[in-house]
Amino acid sequence: MRNFFDLYGDKFVECILTHLYYVVVSVGIAFVVALALGIALSRAPRLSRYLLPIISVSQTIPGIVFVGILLLYFGMTDTTVITALTVYAVFPILKNTYVGILEVEPQYKEAARGCGMSGLQTLRLVEVPLAAPAIFAGLKMSCVYTVSWAVLAALIGRGSLGEFIYIGVATNDNRLIFAGAVPSAIMAVTLGYLIDLARKRVVHWPRGREAK
Amino acid sequence: MIRFEHVNKSYRNVTILNDLSFEINPGEFTVLVGPSGCGKTTTLKMINRLIEPDSGDIYVNDRNIRDTDRIELRRSIGYVIQQIGLFPNMTVAQNIAVVPKLLKYPKAAIDETVHTLLDMVNMPYDAFASKYPHQLSGGQQQRIGVLRALAASPPIILMDEPFGALDPMTRASLQDEVKNLQQQLNKTFVFVTHDMDEALDLADKIIFMDKGGIVQIDSPEDMLENPATNLIRSFMKKRLAGPDQPPSLVRDFMRTDIHKVSRNRGVRECIELMAHVDIDSLIVTNLDKTYAGTISIKDLKADGKTGVINTPEDGRPYRSSEPFIKTETPNVRLNYDAKACFDVLLESDSRYIVVLTPEDRVAGIVTNTSVAKALADAFWNN
Repeated sequence: MRNFFDLYGDKFVECILTHLYYVVVSVGIAFVVALALGIALSRAPRLSRYLLPIISVSQTIPGIVFVGILLLYFGMTDTTVITALTVYAVFPILKNTYVGILEVEPQYKEAARGCGMSGLQTLRLVEVPLAAPAIFAGLKMSCVYTVSWAVLAALIGRGSLGEFIYIGVATNDNRLIFAGAVPSAIMAVTLGYLIDLARKRVVHWPRGREAK
Repeated sequence: MIRFEHVNKSYRNVTILNDLSFEINPGEFTVLVGPSGCGKTTTLKMINRLIEPDSGDIYVNDRNIRDTDRIELRRSIGYVIQQIGLFPNMTVAQNIAVVPKLLKYPKAAIDETVHTLLDMVNMPYDAFASKYPHQLSGGQQQRIGVLRALAASPPIILMDEPFGALDPMTRASLQDEVKNLQQQLNKTFVFVTHDMDEALDLADKIIFMDKGGIVQIDSPEDMLENPATNLIRSFMKKRLAGPDQPPSLVRDFMRTDIHKVSRNRGVRECIELMAHVDIDSLIVTNLDKTYAGTISIKDLKADGKTGVINTPEDGRPYRSSEPFIKTETPNVRLNYDAKACFDVLLESDSRYIVVLTPEDRVAGIVTNTSVAKALADAFWNN
């Protein structure tokens, strides 16, 4: 163990920070994009029934292929990594935002209309707040996925915990594989926990199922 | 205040409203009632433009609502729905304040309104203002739903089956409260229900609808008195039959398969009739068909031979049954309370009670069997 830190200590810390940086930045961008897109799609549910499956195709492209394609345009840069991770991170948040808003019970939408709220006011005061639990669930899912996808950065020499994993696999060194896998697992759990905390702050009202 | 002129509405090929015209006066509590699918809710939702008519005009305060801004119109009309629809992400106070906030009332004024309104329904501000809807009972939720509709003090309140989902006790107390509020605040209420009892209790004016048209517009009293159609009559069945819905009068339990004889019949004829239908007593009527008394085989057998010999003008003397007619058998009227009648029967020596019409004619009898049948009905509920 001591041996490991003597040998890789600086690199280990650096990789964790790079990894975290990729995750936070791409999930952050994805969150903003997905929220806007999800809200936009929820305004046109009939169109979205065709659009969503098309968007979901992006999820089926293997990560390596996607990084490879982006590499041609952006080269071996952080932009390539962050663009790829962002594209993958968008869909779970987008889908949950869209479904969450559509599943707001009609009674609340009718009450909002009857009270004289405009479409935008209904969205801001009623629909988005009531969809918040679903949106947070999507965010958490995206975050956990992105932590595991971020190892791809190592493929184009851009750091991340993937370096330890790939080298470990190539040299058949279990120590190195663990050195990459364990911190990323801890990172995923920690970020998930932080998102749960944020959700509890935002969704501060008792929900029907819990109250009963 | 509210006027419909030749309003039509259809979805695809189904006519929902057919040439609807009516008027609602200021301060009136109007109830739209009718079977499901009659168009009452559609009519209500047209007043605040949640649904637009295909043709025809609707006026609110003599202004064609087609020319108003939809959102402004809705803020000026209170709206209460059956599902209550309190926003779960807002506290009680925030829910009540929704419309005043949309109208950008000053904060102090909004706070005061919330205080006053909560006081009006006896829900103390300190205890309830910061609660969330899911922490309240159904009845409390709908009270807040009503307060939300009242908060910007709109002159018109629309209510779409607001108490339909509440238990009967809560519903009754909310009905009282709403009626009181309406009288206190002197607002125009338009209320939709399929429950005629609710309509009769609350309304100044009932608009009965069926198949997209109006069948009758009347005050509750006049509608009870003169229902225009059998459909309306059947809606009011409970009220027309009296306060208790299960059959409770003598007429509901009496037997009508009885045997009557005229008082001028002879003893022999009476005995023969009793033997023939296998009964031991007869109801005797006067010549004008009114009730005279009863006659039993026991009396006839004991003293049958001592009776007076009648000699009618056309000859053939016979022994009259007249002296054996007894009047001790208790009798009651058709609309006498069945339970009281059963008590009379059980306490008397007679094995039956004669039931008389208002003209003193015989309608039927109540026997021990009738009592047993009534008990069975109540017990097995059929």
